[in-house]
Amino acid sequence: MGGALGVASGSALLMSYLSLIVLIPIAAIAARGLGVTVHTNGWGMAVWHWSASSDFSGFWSNVTQSDSAHAIWLSLWLSLSVAAVNAVFGVVIAMVLVRDSFAGKRLLEGVIDLPFALPTIVAGVVFVYLYGGSSPVHVNLIGTWMGLLVALLFVTLPFSVRAVQPVLESLDSNAEDASRSLGAGGFRTFASVVLPSLLPAILTGFGLAFARAVGEFGSITLIAGGQQTTTTASNLIFNLFAGQNYTRAAAVSVALLVLSLLLLASIGVTSSRIQRRLSL
Amino acid sequence: MSISLEKVTKRFGVTFGVEDVTTLIPSGSLTAILGPSGAGKSTLLRLIGGLVTPDAGRILIDDDDVTFLDPRHRNIGFCFQNYAPFRHMTVAKNVAYGLKVRHRPRAEIADRVAEMLELVRLSDFASRYPAQLSGGEMQRMALARALAIAPRVLLLDEPFGALDAQVRAELRTWIKELHDRIHVTTVLVTHDQNEAMEVADSLIVLNEGRVEQAGSPTDLYDHPASEFVLQFLGPSTTIDGVALRPHDLVIVPTGEGTPATVTEISTLGFEIRIAILLGSGETAWIQQSRAEFDAQPVTIGQSIGITRRDATVSPVGTRLDPRGAADRAPDSAAALTQPTTP
Repeated sequence: MGGALGVASGSALLMSYLSLIVLIPIAAIAARGLGVTVHTNGWGMAVWHWSASSDFSGFWSNVTQSDSAHAIWLSLWLSLSVAAVNAVFGVVIAMVLVRDSFAGKRLLEGVIDLPFALPTIVAGVVFVYLYGGSSPVHVNLIGTWMGLLVALLFVTLPFSVRAVQPVLESLDSNAEDASRSLGAGGFRTFASVVLPSLLPAILTGFGLAFARAVGEFGSITLIAGGQQTTTTASNLIFNLFAGQNYTRAAAVSVALLVLSLLLLASIGVTSSRIQRRLSL
Repeated sequence: MSISLEKVTKRFGVTFGVEDVTTLIPSGSLTAILGPSGAGKSTLLRLIGGLVTPDAGRILIDDDDVTFLDPRHRNIGFCFQNYAPFRHMTVAKNVAYGLKVRHRPRAEIADRVAEMLELVRLSDFASRYPAQLSGGEMQRMALARALAIAPRVLLLDEPFGALDAQVRAELRTWIKELHDRIHVTTVLVTHDQNEAMEVADSLIVLNEGRVEQAGSPTDLYDHPASEFVLQFLGPSTTIDGVALRPHDLVIVPTGEGTPATVTEISTLGFEIRIAILLGSGETAWIQQSRAEFDAQPVTIGQSIGITRRDATVSPVGTRLDPRGAADRAPDSAAALTQPTTP
């Protein structure tokens, strides 16, 4: 920093923008979830006001009600599974894209980005058509966790691939040659030399895919089929909000936010620890 | 172990390929593959290492045909120009890698790693990561890693390339000492002729993918088989279309030899360079030691005669067999003047 704008005004601008776009909305939802109301007095100063229900136990009972807890748990394990599965296939696909040359490679590159470009509700409609009651392949996944999984795998794939691909491209092929000349076979070289170098990127892709899956709404809301067992946290929040249950909606949001942040932070710490060792 | 290349060809398009290379690298030698960039030096090394397979020809290590043998089974130590460290492993783990792959007992690996780190003087660096090493240290780690597997042949790609001058000089001496101690057949690639002449006991000069000449450094310096070798292996100047070494030119009184005029004199420490203008309008230069110059000083503008020293060095002969050993070219091109004793 400190280039065109100078350090002071640059960081002031950054903070203002971040506050407006990220921090204030998050603070607002956190306040709402914990039952805190904020208003401004005649002098334009923020006044914090704890309402009668604004204690932590109120928040806690809101998120531990069976449907809230179930939805949060469902969102977390689905997102973790999806991120894990796509971490594996992301590496495989990136390897093929970087190392192999074949006809239609450019096309495949485009196909991988398709979930980025497609409105998720369109993906949702596609999945309901493909795996719904009138499925042309006779697979009905409506109202099952499998249905949710398939939809989430679809929308998170580009994150897993694109996080790994550039790192794989810039990888030192000499290290692999060194491994081979030291007597290692292809698998050994991949496991001992390539994979550890990709680990930070794989973790980044994992984090991005997880975050995307936790927040996903459009592509899974239809295939969830309105069942209580397949209601994810994001779906539940929508339902609560529609039923004007604003405080509980906010409480579930806050719980989801905190859990996701914890997970992403630990991924970030692990990843940067590995990265530091690799490049210092 | 000797390495024998028989009519080896590998084409890549315009440059970096090798064409019909036949040469023998003697067992226990320290051989330098020398040539300008794009001459195919690294390709030749990678062919020996098995990282590239030839389009035609055979590669033998002793009597073992390894032409299409996977590098993992060649038992060759390869050091890459960028050292190719395994960045996520400590120095000790890097060195242990080849032994672990070979499933050696743990105690044996530990002993061997300690021995290798001692050899390359990195014992105190065992638990560091490559990112914490300097270029020279990383180079020595790469050497230890390659040597740990007791390779049949050690291959070094531009081993001094990315280092600063002082470290280069140290490492050069050190590699020579190391070679004297362990006697493994070593092939190194370099584009620096001084480095090659200093370190190696045998040279292979490559140009545009072909072997120009091979032999001992003095052999090649004194009896270059082509103008390319003469020019590449040391200073050269041209008189009447004949390339020769500027220190083989002797100043004689006017009237003798080829007439010339002194145009410039530069002193480079011990060395004196005298630029001259020939009657034909061509320019050339003479290289003298300070003592030679002081014994027979000249001044700018002075008319002199030049002649060729009664040469220990034969001028460029015709292109001969690539080993060049058979040839001590008679002075076929010594058309300049009759050699005179000073």
